[in-house]
Amino acid sequence: MSRKKKRRKIEYKDIDLNIMPFIDVFSMLNTFLLFTAVFLSVGILEVQIPFLSNTPPPDDPKDSRVFEVKVDVTKEQVEIQTAYTRPPNQEQKFPFPNNADGLKQMHQKLAEIRKQNADTDKATVFSEDDVSWESLSAVLDTVMLRIEGDPIFPPAKDAKNREKAEIDAKLYLYPKIVMGSVMLR
Amino acid sequence: MASAGGGSKDTLSLNLNPMLDIFSILITFLLMSFSTDPVSHDVDAGIELPQSNTIVAMDEVPTIIVTKTELRVNDNKVADIVAGDVPEKDRAQGAIYPVFEALQKLAEANKRVNKPKSDDPNAKGSTGALTMEMDKGHRFKLMKRIMLSAQQAEFVQFKLMVQKELN
Repeated sequence: MSRKKKRRKIEYKDIDLNIMPFIDVFSMLNTFLLFTAVFLSVGILEVQIPFLSNTPPPDDPKDSRVFEVKVDVTKEQVEIQTAYTRPPNQEQKFPFPNNADGLKQMHQKLAEIRKQNADTDKATVFSEDDVSWESLSAVLDTVMLRIEGDPIFPPAKDAKNREKAEIDAKLYLYPKIVMGSVMLR
Repeated sequence: MASAGGGSKDTLSLNLNPMLDIFSILITFLLMSFSTDPVSHDVDAGIELPQSNTIVAMDEVPTIIVTKTELRVNDNKVADIVAGDVPEKDRAQGAIYPVFEALQKLAEANKRVNKPKSDDPNAKGSTGALTMEMDKGHRFKLMKRIMLSAQQAEFVQFKLMVQKELN
């Protein structure tokens, strides 16, 4: 018994899709996005300057021997200087050329120093007058910011805002930067 | 879809597909670059910011703007900049006197606003941080003068504006 399959013939019809509402929505979205578009993303680098205060420091500095990290910036060179505030000072200097490679090496050295002295979260930056803001900002980036591979150091025990300190610990290698050269003549 | 005017009965079909393609690409680009930063600020046309890897977004509009030719505090011009420095007449002890004056007023206002709620009448509020927008070509000498002026007006925290590098 042969069975004939009935094949249904598909009929194609021309349908007219109304895309006008679609275009209207796109136009509105475009206008809104163009108005709110920010083509330049702006960020900030937080620094502080030294100041004189009558308030006594939280712990007596007479007996404490604190490790200090300083970064000296000139047009040609950046130099890390480390020392203790009381003898034996154990002063050390690590110079690097002020260029992309030099800054990369300096960051590695700073990470190493921070590993050995995890409690020191402050670095003081001294700059010469003729250094451009572009060059100085590159140095600040290198000193301040963590890069991939850097360990995360616990926030300072005496941090006032614990939550902020914990976020800062993830972002920064040295969260506190003091511009040491800003002193009244 | 669109028909030509006049007496002709011919219908013109306008091909909208290329326009839709352009719209789609434009919207994709705009949605990708859509900023959710807390503050939207247009950088001054005369300023080029240095690039930085920071991910900290700007949270307030800049108080101090240093273009190539002028220095502004709260959008009021306080000094000219000639050859990358302020003129001799505006300088005092390495600082910039008009900047100090403008910032001193601001510091007093900030202290009043930020005064802690305590019974102590001598309790002082903090001056807060200063946001500074500065052209990348300026030297540290000028930045130091501004920072010194701010220091004299009791500002010690600075937020230096930079251009975030797009990864």
